[in-house]
Amino acid sequence: MGDSQYSFSLTTFSPSGKLVQIEYALMAVGAGQTSLGIKASNGVVIATEKKLPSILVDEASINKIQSLTPNIGVVYSGMGPDSRVLVRKSRKQAQTYQRLYQEPIPLSQLVRETAAVMQEFTQSGGVRPFGVSLLMAGFDDNGPQLYQVDPSGSYFSWKASAIGKNVSNAKTFLEKRYSDDMELEDAIHTAILTLKEGFEGQISGKNIEIGIIDEKRVFKVLTPAEVEDYLAEVE
Amino acid sequence: MTKSNVMEVPPKGGFTFDLCRRNTMLQQQGAKLPKFRKTGTTIVGLIFKDGVILGADTRATEGEIVCDKNCEKIHYLAPNISCCGAGTAADTENVTDMVSSQLVLHRYATGRESRVVTALTMLKSHLFRYQGQVSAALVLGGVDVTGPHLHAVYPHGSTDTLPFATMGSGSLAAMSVFESRYKENLTKEEGMEIVSAAICAGIFNDLGSGSNVDLCIITKEGKEYLRNYQQPNPRSYSRSKGYDFKIGHTAVLSTKITQLRQHVQVLEGDAMEEE
Repeated sequence: MGDSQYSFSLTTFSPSGKLVQIEYALMAVGAGQTSLGIKASNGVVIATEKKLPSILVDEASINKIQSLTPNIGVVYSGMGPDSRVLVRKSRKQAQTYQRLYQEPIPLSQLVRETAAVMQEFTQSGGVRPFGVSLLMAGFDDNGPQLYQVDPSGSYFSWKASAIGKNVSNAKTFLEKRYSDDMELEDAIHTAILTLKEGFEGQISGKNIEIGIIDEKRVFKVLTPAEVEDYLAEVE
Repeated sequence: MTKSNVMEVPPKGGFTFDLCRRNTMLQQQGAKLPKFRKTGTTIVGLIFKDGVILGADTRATEGEIVCDKNCEKIHYLAPNISCCGAGTAADTENVTDMVSSQLVLHRYATGRESRVVTALTMLKSHLFRYQGQVSAALVLGGVDVTGPHLHAVYPHGSTDTLPFATMGSGSLAAMSVFESRYKENLTKEEGMEIVSAAICAGIFNDLGSGSNVDLCIITKEGKEYLRNYQQPNPRSYSRSKGYDFKIGHTAVLSTKITQLRQHVQVLEGDAMEEE
Protein backbone atom coordinates (compact mmCIF):
# COMPACT_ATOMS: atom_id res chain seq x y z
CA MET A 1 0.00 0.00 0.00
CA GLY A 2 1.13 3.55 -0.50
CA ASP A 3 2.92 2.98 -3.82
CA SER A 4 2.10 5.14 -6.86
CA GLN A 5 1.54 8.85 -6.34
CA TYR A 6 -0.53 8.57 -3.18
CA SER A 7 1.55 8.32 -0.05
CA PHE A 8 -1.10 10.20 1.94
CA SER A 9 -4.15 8.58 3.43
CA LEU A 10 -7.58 9.35 1.97
CA THR A 11 -9.14 8.55 5.34
CA THR A 12 -8.71 11.66 7.48
CA PHE A 13 -10.19 12.88 10.77
CA SER A 14 -13.14 15.24 10.94
CA PRO A 15 -13.16 18.12 13.47
CA SER A 16 -15.40 16.07 15.78
CA GLY A 17 -12.82 13.30 15.93
CA LYS A 18 -14.57 10.85 13.62
CA LEU A 19 -13.19 9.09 10.58
CA VAL A 20 -15.95 9.93 8.16
CA GLN A 21 -14.83 7.42 5.54
CA ILE A 22 -15.35 4.62 8.02
CA GLU A 23 -18.80 5.97 8.94
CA TYR A 24 -19.68 5.97 5.26
CA ALA A 25 -18.28 2.46 4.91
CA LEU A 26 -20.59 1.36 7.71
CA MET A 27 -23.45 2.96 5.81
CA ALA A 28 -22.51 0.90 2.78
CA VAL A 29 -22.71 -2.16 5.02
CA GLY A 30 -26.07 -1.00 6.34
CA ALA A 31 -27.40 -0.83 2.80
CA GLY A 32 -26.34 -4.40 2.09
CA GLN A 33 -28.50 -7.50 2.40
CA THR A 34 -29.09 -8.83 5.89
CA SER A 35 -26.75 -11.46 7.27
CA LEU A 36 -26.79 -13.02 10.71
CA GLY A 37 -25.02 -15.58 12.84
CA ILE A 38 -25.97 -17.56 15.94
CA LYS A 39 -23.62 -19.47 18.22
CA ALA A 40 -25.17 -22.62 19.68
CA SER A 41 -23.80 -24.86 22.41
CA ASN A 42 -22.60 -27.44 19.87
CA GLY A 43 -22.02 -25.39 16.72
CA VAL A 44 -22.52 -22.13 14.82
CA VAL A 45 -24.91 -21.14 12.04
CA ILE A 46 -24.53 -18.17 9.65
CA ALA A 47 -27.15 -17.15 7.13
CA THR A 48 -27.81 -14.45 4.59
CA GLU A 49 -30.41 -13.23 2.12
CA LYS A 50 -29.50 -13.91 -1.47
CA LYS A 51 -31.64 -11.38 -3.34
CA LEU A 52 -30.62 -11.36 -6.98
CA PRO A 53 -30.87 -8.19 -9.11
CA SER A 54 -33.03 -10.02 -11.67
CA ILE A 55 -34.73 -13.40 -12.20
CA LEU A 56 -32.39 -13.92 -15.13
CA VAL A 57 -29.37 -14.33 -12.83
CA ASP A 58 -28.25 -17.94 -12.33
CA GLU A 59 -28.51 -18.15 -8.54
CA ALA A 60 -26.48 -21.35 -8.33
CA SER A 61 -23.40 -19.45 -9.45
CA ILE A 62 -23.53 -17.06 -6.51
CA ASN A 63 -21.95 -18.14 -3.23
CA LYS A 64 -22.11 -15.49 -0.55
CA ILE A 65 -21.06 -17.86 2.24
CA GLN A 66 -17.49 -19.10 1.78
CA SER A 67 -15.06 -21.40 3.62
CA LEU A 68 -11.79 -19.95 4.79
CA THR A 69 -10.46 -23.23 6.21
CA PRO A 70 -12.17 -26.60 6.62
CA ASN A 71 -13.43 -25.44 10.04
CA ILE A 72 -14.06 -21.70 9.49
CA GLY A 73 -16.73 -20.07 7.33
CA VAL A 74 -17.59 -16.44 6.60
CA VAL A 75 -20.54 -14.38 5.38
CA TYR A 76 -20.63 -10.64 4.59
CA SER A 77 -22.96 -7.70 4.28
CA GLY A 78 -22.05 -4.85 1.96
CA MET A 79 -19.97 -4.82 -1.21
CA GLY A 80 -19.47 -8.33 -2.59
CA PRO A 81 -16.23 -7.62 -4.50
CA ASP A 82 -14.62 -6.17 -1.35
CA SER A 83 -15.48 -9.36 0.54
CA ARG A 84 -13.78 -11.45 -2.14
CA VAL A 85 -10.49 -9.61 -1.57
CA LEU A 86 -10.74 -10.24 2.18
CA VAL A 87 -11.64 -13.90 1.70
CA ARG A 88 -8.60 -14.38 -0.52
CA LYS A 89 -6.27 -12.68 1.94
CA SER A 90 -7.70 -14.60 4.90
CA ARG A 91 -7.30 -17.95 3.16
CA LYS A 92 -3.68 -17.14 2.47
CA GLN A 93 -3.09 -16.06 6.06
CA ALA A 94 -4.62 -19.31 7.31
CA GLN A 95 -2.24 -21.28 5.09
CA THR A 96 0.78 -19.28 6.26
CA TYR A 97 -0.14 -20.01 9.87
CA GLN A 98 -0.63 -23.69 9.04
CA ARG A 99 2.79 -23.88 7.39
CA LEU A 100 4.50 -22.19 10.32
CA TYR A 101 2.83 -24.00 13.22
CA GLN A 102 1.76 -27.26 11.50
CA GLU A 103 -1.74 -26.90 12.93
CA PRO A 104 -4.99 -25.26 11.77
CA ILE A 105 -5.34 -21.59 12.66
CA PRO A 106 -7.62 -20.84 15.63
CA LEU A 107 -10.59 -18.64 14.66
CA SER A 108 -9.61 -15.80 17.02
CA GLN A 109 -6.18 -15.54 15.35
CA LEU A 110 -7.65 -15.48 11.85
CA VAL A 111 -10.14 -12.82 12.90
CA ARG A 112 -7.32 -10.74 14.35
CA GLU A 113 -5.27 -10.97 11.17
CA THR A 114 -8.24 -10.16 8.92
CA ALA A 115 -9.16 -7.22 11.12
CA ALA A 116 -5.56 -6.01 10.89
CA VAL A 117 -5.84 -5.99 7.09
CA MET A 118 -9.07 -4.01 7.25
CA GLN A 119 -7.46 -1.49 9.61
CA GLU A 120 -4.46 -1.15 7.28
CA PHE A 121 -6.78 0.07 4.55
CA THR A 122 -8.02 2.87 6.82
CA GLN A 123 -4.54 4.22 7.39
CA SER A 124 -2.64 3.72 4.14
CA GLY A 125 -2.01 5.88 1.09
CA GLY A 126 -4.30 5.79 -1.89
CA VAL A 127 -6.75 3.17 -0.61
CA ARG A 128 -10.24 3.28 0.83
CA PRO A 129 -11.75 1.23 3.68
CA PHE A 130 -13.50 -2.05 2.81
CA GLY A 131 -17.25 -1.67 2.37
CA VAL A 132 -18.12 -4.92 4.18
CA SER A 133 -18.71 -6.28 7.63
CA LEU A 134 -17.87 -9.94 8.06
CA LEU A 135 -19.38 -12.60 10.27
CA MET A 136 -16.81 -15.35 10.79
CA ALA A 137 -17.96 -18.65 12.29
CA GLY A 138 -15.79 -21.55 13.35
CA PHE A 139 -15.28 -24.51 15.67
CA ASP A 140 -11.81 -25.09 17.09
CA ASP A 141 -10.22 -26.18 20.35
CA ASN A 142 -11.93 -23.26 22.11
CA GLY A 143 -15.35 -24.51 21.04
CA PRO A 144 -17.85 -22.86 18.68
CA GLN A 145 -17.27 -19.13 18.11
CA LEU A 146 -18.82 -16.26 16.13
CA TYR A 147 -16.98 -13.02 15.38
CA GLN A 148 -18.03 -9.81 13.64
CA VAL A 149 -15.40 -7.67 11.89
CA ASP A 150 -16.21 -4.10 10.82
CA PRO A 151 -14.68 -1.84 8.12
CA SER A 152 -12.72 0.02 10.82
CA GLY A 153 -10.95 -3.18 11.76
CA SER A 154 -12.65 -3.62 15.12
CA TYR A 155 -13.89 -7.09 15.92
CA PHE A 156 -16.22 -8.54 18.52
CA SER A 157 -17.17 -12.03 19.59
CA TRP A 158 -20.94 -12.49 19.60
CA LYS A 159 -23.41 -15.05 20.83
CA ALA A 160 -25.73 -13.89 18.08
CA SER A 161 -25.46 -10.96 15.71
CA ALA A 162 -26.92 -9.45 12.57
CA ILE A 163 -25.46 -7.03 10.00
CA GLY A 164 -26.85 -5.26 6.97
CA LYS A 165 -30.25 -3.79 6.21
CA ASN A 166 -32.59 -5.04 8.88
CA VAL A 167 -30.16 -4.94 11.77
CA SER A 168 -32.20 -3.40 14.60
CA ASN A 169 -35.28 -5.61 14.08
CA ALA A 170 -33.13 -8.69 13.63
CA LYS A 171 -31.08 -8.02 16.76
CA THR A 172 -34.23 -7.40 18.85
CA PHE A 173 -35.65 -10.67 17.56
CA LEU A 174 -32.43 -12.50 18.34
CA GLU A 175 -32.22 -11.02 21.84
CA LYS A 176 -35.67 -12.37 22.60
CA ARG A 177 -35.06 -15.79 21.11
CA TYR A 178 -31.49 -16.51 22.12
CA SER A 179 -30.64 -18.84 25.00
CA ASP A 180 -27.19 -20.01 26.09
CA ASP A 181 -28.04 -23.70 25.92
CA MET A 182 -29.55 -23.53 22.45
CA GLU A 183 -28.55 -26.44 20.21
CA LEU A 184 -27.52 -26.14 16.57
CA GLU A 185 -30.84 -27.33 15.14
CA ASP A 186 -32.73 -24.74 17.21
CA ALA A 187 -30.24 -22.11 16.15
CA ILE A 188 -30.84 -22.89 12.46
CA HIS A 189 -34.60 -22.54 12.96
CA THR A 190 -34.12 -19.27 14.83
CA ALA A 191 -31.84 -17.99 12.08
CA ILE A 192 -34.47 -18.75 9.44
CA LEU A 193 -37.21 -17.07 11.50
CA THR A 194 -35.03 -13.99 11.96
CA LEU A 195 -34.37 -13.75 8.22
CA LYS A 196 -38.06 -14.24 7.54
CA GLU A 197 -38.91 -11.23 9.76
CA GLY A 198 -37.51 -8.67 7.37
CA PHE A 199 -37.82 -10.67 4.16
CA GLU A 200 -39.59 -9.04 1.23
CA GLY A 201 -41.35 -11.65 -0.85
CA GLN A 202 -41.49 -15.40 -0.54
CA ILE A 203 -38.58 -17.03 1.29
CA SER A 204 -37.24 -20.21 -0.31
CA GLY A 205 -34.13 -22.37 -0.58
CA LYS A 206 -33.03 -20.35 -3.58
CA ASN A 207 -33.02 -16.88 -2.04
CA ILE A 208 -31.29 -17.55 1.26
CA GLU A 209 -27.96 -19.18 2.05
CA ILE A 210 -27.15 -21.03 5.28
CA GLY A 211 -23.76 -22.27 6.48
CA ILE A 212 -23.28 -24.46 9.55
CA ILE A 213 -20.46 -25.98 11.53
CA ASP A 214 -20.99 -28.62 14.20
CA GLU A 215 -18.83 -30.72 16.52
CA LYS A 216 -17.37 -32.59 13.55
CA ARG A 217 -15.57 -29.28 12.84
CA VAL A 218 -16.30 -29.23 9.13
CA PHE A 219 -17.90 -26.04 7.78
CA LYS A 220 -20.48 -26.64 5.11
CA VAL A 221 -22.94 -24.57 3.13
CA LEU A 222 -26.38 -26.18 2.98
CA THR A 223 -27.73 -27.09 -0.46
CA PRO A 224 -30.98 -25.39 -1.58
CA ALA A 225 -32.76 -28.72 -0.98
CA GLU A 226 -31.49 -28.92 2.60
CA VAL A 227 -32.56 -25.30 3.17
CA GLU A 228 -36.05 -26.15 1.88
CA ASP A 229 -36.23 -29.00 4.42
CA TYR A 230 -35.43 -26.61 7.27
CA LEU A 231 -37.93 -24.07 5.91
CA ALA A 232 -40.62 -26.76 5.92
CA GLU A 233 -39.77 -27.61 9.55
CA VAL A 234 -40.14 -23.96 10.51
CA GLU A 235 -43.61 -23.65 8.94
CA MET B 1 12.43 11.18 2.87
CA THR B 2 14.91 11.83 0.07
CA LYS B 3 13.70 11.32 -3.43
CA SER B 4 16.03 9.36 -5.67
CA ASN B 5 15.90 8.90 -9.41
CA VAL B 6 16.41 5.16 -9.14
CA MET B 7 13.23 3.33 -8.03
CA GLU B 8 13.96 1.33 -4.95
CA VAL B 9 12.66 -2.17 -5.54
CA PRO B 10 12.01 -3.97 -2.26
CA PRO B 11 13.66 -7.42 -2.11
CA LYS B 12 11.10 -9.96 -3.26
CA GLY B 13 12.67 -12.80 -1.32
CA GLY B 14 13.86 -16.07 -2.78
CA PHE B 15 17.32 -17.34 -3.53
CA THR B 16 20.12 -14.88 -4.32
CA PHE B 17 22.74 -16.46 -6.51
CA ASP B 18 25.47 -13.97 -5.54
CA LEU B 19 27.48 -16.36 -3.43
CA CYS B 20 27.40 -19.36 -5.78
CA ARG B 21 30.47 -18.24 -7.71
CA ARG B 22 32.36 -17.66 -4.49
CA ASN B 23 31.42 -21.12 -3.26
CA THR B 24 32.63 -22.88 -6.40
CA MET B 25 35.85 -20.87 -6.21
CA LEU B 26 36.38 -21.90 -2.59
CA GLN B 27 35.70 -25.51 -3.43
CA GLN B 28 38.28 -25.40 -6.21
CA GLN B 29 40.75 -24.00 -3.74
CA GLY B 30 40.14 -26.97 -1.48
CA ALA B 31 37.59 -25.78 1.10
CA LYS B 32 34.93 -28.36 1.96
CA LEU B 33 31.24 -27.53 1.69
CA PRO B 34 29.29 -28.39 4.85
CA LYS B 35 27.52 -31.73 4.54
CA PHE B 36 23.77 -31.69 4.27
CA ARG B 37 21.38 -34.45 5.02
CA LYS B 38 20.55 -36.34 1.84
CA THR B 39 17.97 -39.02 1.56
CA GLY B 40 20.16 -41.39 -0.52
CA THR B 41 17.02 -43.19 -1.44
CA THR B 42 15.09 -45.48 -3.61
CA ILE B 43 11.74 -44.05 -4.65
CA VAL B 44 9.40 -45.59 -7.22
CA GLY B 45 5.95 -45.26 -8.69
CA LEU B 46 3.83 -47.22 -11.10
CA ILE B 47 0.42 -47.00 -12.72
CA PHE B 48 -1.82 -50.03 -12.29
CA LYS B 49 -5.36 -50.80 -13.42
CA ASP B 50 -7.21 -48.61 -10.89
CA GLY B 51 -4.64 -45.94 -10.07
CA VAL B 52 -1.12 -45.26 -8.88
CA ILE B 53 1.18 -46.98 -6.36
CA LEU B 54 4.11 -45.07 -4.86
CA GLY B 55 6.89 -46.71 -2.87
CA ALA B 56 9.92 -45.51 -0.91
CA ASP B 57 12.63 -46.78 1.43
CA THR B 58 13.16 -45.13 4.83
CA ARG B 59 16.89 -44.43 5.24
CA ALA B 60 18.20 -40.87 5.55
CA THR B 61 21.98 -40.37 5.29
CA GLU B 62 24.37 -37.59 6.26
CA GLY B 63 27.50 -38.40 4.34
CA GLU B 64 28.40 -41.94 5.41
CA ILE B 65 26.20 -42.00 8.51
CA VAL B 66 22.60 -43.17 8.66
CA CYS B 67 20.98 -40.30 10.49
CA ASP B 68 17.38 -41.54 10.36
CA LYS B 69 16.57 -45.25 10.09
CA ASN B 70 12.85 -44.73 9.58
CA CYS B 71 12.12 -41.40 7.92
CA GLU B 72 9.03 -40.69 5.81
CA LYS B 73 9.75 -40.03 2.15
CA ILE B 74 6.20 -40.16 0.83
CA HIS B 75 4.81 -36.64 1.25
CA TYR B 76 1.23 -35.40 1.21
CA LEU B 77 0.33 -32.93 -1.51
CA ALA B 78 -3.46 -33.17 -1.72
CA PRO B 79 -6.15 -35.66 -0.67
CA ASN B 80 -5.69 -37.36 -4.05
CA ILE B 81 -2.03 -36.66 -4.76
CA SER B 82 1.22 -37.82 -3.09
CA CYS B 83 4.87 -37.26 -3.82
CA CYS B 84 8.02 -39.27 -3.04
CA GLY B 85 11.14 -37.19 -2.55
CA ALA B 86 14.85 -37.93 -3.10
CA GLY B 87 17.81 -35.59 -2.73
CA THR B 88 18.29 -33.10 0.07
CA ALA B 89 15.70 -33.86 2.78
CA ALA B 90 15.10 -30.18 3.63
CA ASP B 91 14.48 -29.36 -0.02
CA THR B 92 12.03 -32.20 -0.66
CA GLU B 93 10.10 -31.57 2.56
CA ASN B 94 9.83 -27.83 2.12
CA VAL B 95 9.03 -27.81 -1.57
CA THR B 96 6.25 -30.40 -1.10
CA ASP B 97 4.93 -28.48 1.92
CA MET B 98 4.85 -25.24 -0.07
CA VAL B 99 3.11 -26.76 -3.09
CA SER B 100 0.63 -28.53 -0.81
CA SER B 101 -0.25 -25.14 0.72
CA GLN B 102 -0.56 -23.52 -2.73
CA LEU B 103 -2.84 -26.36 -3.82
CA VAL B 104 -5.19 -25.67 -0.88
CA LEU B 105 -5.55 -22.05 -1.98
CA HIS B 106 -5.99 -23.21 -5.56
CA ARG B 107 -8.80 -25.58 -4.51
CA TYR B 108 -10.58 -22.75 -2.71
CA ALA B 109 -10.23 -20.48 -5.72
CA THR B 110 -11.46 -23.06 -8.27
CA GLY B 111 -13.90 -25.05 -6.09
CA ARG B 112 -12.56 -28.28 -7.60
CA GLU B 113 -10.39 -31.26 -6.68
CA SER B 114 -6.68 -30.66 -7.44
CA ARG B 115 -5.21 -32.14 -10.61
CA VAL B 116 -1.83 -33.86 -10.76
CA VAL B 117 -0.66 -31.63 -13.61
CA THR B 118 -1.31 -28.57 -11.43
CA ALA B 119 1.01 -29.94 -8.74
CA LEU B 120 3.49 -30.87 -11.46
CA THR B 121 3.53 -27.36 -12.96
CA MET B 122 3.88 -25.70 -9.54
CA LEU B 123 6.79 -27.98 -8.64
CA LYS B 124 8.67 -27.67 -11.92
CA SER B 125 8.27 -23.88 -12.10
CA HIS B 126 9.71 -23.54 -8.63
CA LEU B 127 12.62 -25.90 -9.28
CA PHE B 128 13.48 -24.26 -12.60
CA ARG B 129 13.44 -20.80 -11.01
CA TYR B 130 16.08 -21.97 -8.56
CA GLN B 131 18.21 -23.45 -11.35
CA GLY B 132 18.88 -26.79 -9.63
CA GLN B 133 19.97 -25.24 -6.33
CA VAL B 134 16.88 -26.84 -4.75
CA SER B 135 18.05 -30.43 -4.82
CA ALA B 136 14.72 -32.25 -4.97
CA ALA B 137 14.10 -35.24 -7.25
CA LEU B 138 10.46 -36.29 -6.96
CA VAL B 139 8.13 -39.03 -8.07
CA LEU B 140 4.70 -37.45 -8.21
CA GLY B 141 1.56 -39.58 -8.49
CA GLY B 142 -2.17 -39.17 -8.07
CA VAL B 143 -5.64 -39.75 -9.42
CA ASP B 144 -7.90 -36.91 -10.52
CA VAL B 145 -10.94 -36.43 -12.78
CA THR B 146 -8.80 -37.06 -15.85
CA GLY B 147 -7.49 -40.38 -14.51
CA PRO B 148 -4.32 -41.71 -12.85
CA HIS B 149 -1.04 -39.85 -13.50
CA LEU B 150 2.62 -40.49 -12.68
CA HIS B 151 5.48 -38.05 -13.21
CA ALA B 152 9.21 -37.88 -12.43
CA VAL B 153 10.51 -34.39 -11.57
CA TYR B 154 14.24 -33.58 -11.76
CA PRO B 155 16.04 -30.94 -9.65
CA HIS B 156 16.57 -28.60 -12.58
CA GLY B 157 12.88 -28.53 -13.40
CA SER B 158 12.42 -31.05 -16.19
CA THR B 159 9.72 -33.68 -15.92
CA ASP B 160 8.87 -37.06 -17.41
CA THR B 161 5.43 -38.60 -17.68
CA LEU B 162 5.71 -42.36 -17.36
CA PRO B 163 3.81 -45.56 -16.60
CA PHE B 164 6.55 -46.50 -14.11
CA ALA B 165 9.35 -44.38 -12.63
CA THR B 166 12.26 -44.65 -10.20
CA MET B 167 14.50 -41.96 -8.69
CA GLY B 168 17.32 -41.70 -6.17
CA SER B 169 20.60 -43.54 -5.69
CA GLY B 170 18.77 -46.88 -5.74
CA SER B 171 16.88 -46.07 -8.93
CA LEU B 172 18.93 -48.41 -11.12
CA ALA B 173 18.37 -51.38 -8.82
CA ALA B 174 14.64 -50.61 -8.67
CA MET B 175 14.35 -49.96 -12.40
CA SER B 176 15.80 -53.41 -13.18
CA VAL B 177 12.88 -54.95 -11.26
CA PHE B 178 10.33 -52.75 -13.06
CA GLU B 179 11.77 -53.31 -16.52
CA SER B 180 11.59 -57.06 -16.14
CA ARG B 181 8.22 -57.35 -14.38
CA TYR B 182 6.03 -54.37 -15.36
CA LYS B 183 3.05 -54.87 -17.62
CA GLU B 184 -0.13 -52.91 -18.28
CA ASN B 185 -3.35 -53.38 -16.26
CA LEU B 186 -1.74 -54.83 -13.16
CA THR B 187 -4.04 -55.63 -10.24
CA LYS B 188 -3.52 -53.90 -6.90
CA GLU B 189 -1.85 -56.96 -5.35
CA GLU B 190 0.49 -57.48 -8.32
CA GLY B 191 1.36 -53.78 -8.31
CA MET B 192 2.12 -53.76 -4.57
CA GLU B 193 4.26 -56.87 -4.98
CA ILE B 194 6.32 -55.33 -7.80
CA VAL B 195 6.74 -51.99 -6.02
CA SER B 196 7.95 -53.58 -2.79
CA ALA B 197 10.28 -55.86 -4.75
CA ALA B 198 11.73 -52.79 -6.47
CA ILE B 199 12.25 -50.96 -3.17
CA CYS B 200 13.80 -54.05 -1.61
CA ALA B 201 16.20 -54.23 -4.57
CA GLY B 202 17.26 -50.70 -3.68
CA ILE B 203 17.44 -51.44 0.05
CA PHE B 204 19.70 -54.45 -0.35
CA ASN B 205 21.89 -53.31 -3.26
CA ASP B 206 22.32 -49.58 -2.64
CA LEU B 207 24.15 -48.21 0.39
CA GLY B 208 22.15 -44.98 0.30
CA SER B 209 18.87 -46.86 0.81
CA GLY B 210 17.81 -49.18 3.57
CA SER B 211 15.51 -50.10 6.44
CA ASN B 212 11.80 -50.39 5.61
CA VAL B 213 9.39 -50.15 2.68
CA ASP B 214 6.61 -47.51 2.66
CA LEU B 215 3.75 -47.77 0.17
CA CYS B 216 1.01 -45.41 -0.91
CA ILE B 217 -1.85 -46.62 -3.09
CA ILE B 218 -4.01 -43.95 -4.73
CA THR B 219 -7.24 -44.76 -6.56
CA LYS B 220 -10.28 -42.68 -7.38
CA GLU B 221 -11.86 -44.02 -4.17
CA GLY B 222 -9.10 -42.60 -2.01
CA LYS B 223 -5.59 -42.88 -0.69
CA GLU B 224 -4.12 -45.76 1.35
CA TYR B 225 -0.84 -44.92 3.07
CA LEU B 226 0.92 -48.09 4.29
CA ARG B 227 3.72 -46.89 6.53
CA ASN B 228 6.35 -49.61 7.04
CA TYR B 229 4.49 -52.05 4.81
CA GLN B 230 7.54 -54.30 4.93
CA GLN B 231 10.28 -54.37 7.52
CA PRO B 232 13.01 -56.56 6.04
CA ASN B 233 15.70 -55.20 8.39
CA PRO B 234 14.55 -55.77 11.94
CA ARG B 235 16.96 -55.31 14.81
CA SER B 236 17.82 -58.95 15.31
CA TYR B 237 19.54 -58.76 18.68
CA SER B 238 18.96 -56.51 21.66
CA ARG B 239 20.56 -57.34 24.97
CA SER B 240 17.80 -58.30 27.40
CA LYS B 241 19.71 -57.07 30.44
CA GLY B 242 20.24 -53.66 28.88
CA TYR B 243 23.57 -51.92 29.11
CA ASP B 244 25.20 -50.79 32.32
CA PHE B 245 28.63 -49.28 32.53
CA LYS B 246 30.32 -49.79 35.89
CA ILE B 247 32.49 -47.08 37.35
CA GLY B 248 36.03 -47.69 36.20
CA HIS B 249 35.07 -48.64 32.61
CA THR B 250 36.15 -45.26 31.27
CA ALA B 251 39.65 -43.97 32.01
CA VAL B 252 39.69 -40.51 33.63
CA LEU B 253 42.43 -38.36 32.13
CA SER B 254 42.06 -35.17 34.20
CA THR B 255 39.70 -33.69 36.82
CA LYS B 256 38.75 -30.04 37.41
CA ILE B 257 36.08 -29.06 39.93
CA THR B 258 34.63 -25.49 39.92
CA GLN B 259 32.68 -24.55 43.05
CA LEU B 260 29.73 -22.45 41.90
CA ARG B 261 28.90 -21.39 45.46
CA GLN B 262 31.90 -19.05 45.50
CA HIS B 263 30.26 -16.86 42.86
CA VAL B 264 26.89 -16.49 44.59
CA GLN B 265 26.55 -14.22 47.63
CA VAL B 266 23.38 -14.40 49.74
CA LEU B 267 22.74 -11.06 51.50
CA GLU B 268 20.13 -10.58 54.20
CA GLY B 269 18.40 -7.24 53.74
CA ASP B 270 15.23 -5.22 54.43
CA ALA B 271 12.06 -5.92 52.53
CA MET B 272 11.39 -3.53 49.69
CA GLU B 273 9.17 -0.60 50.68
CA GLU B 274 5.77 -0.56 49.06
CA GLU B 275 4.52 2.82 48.00
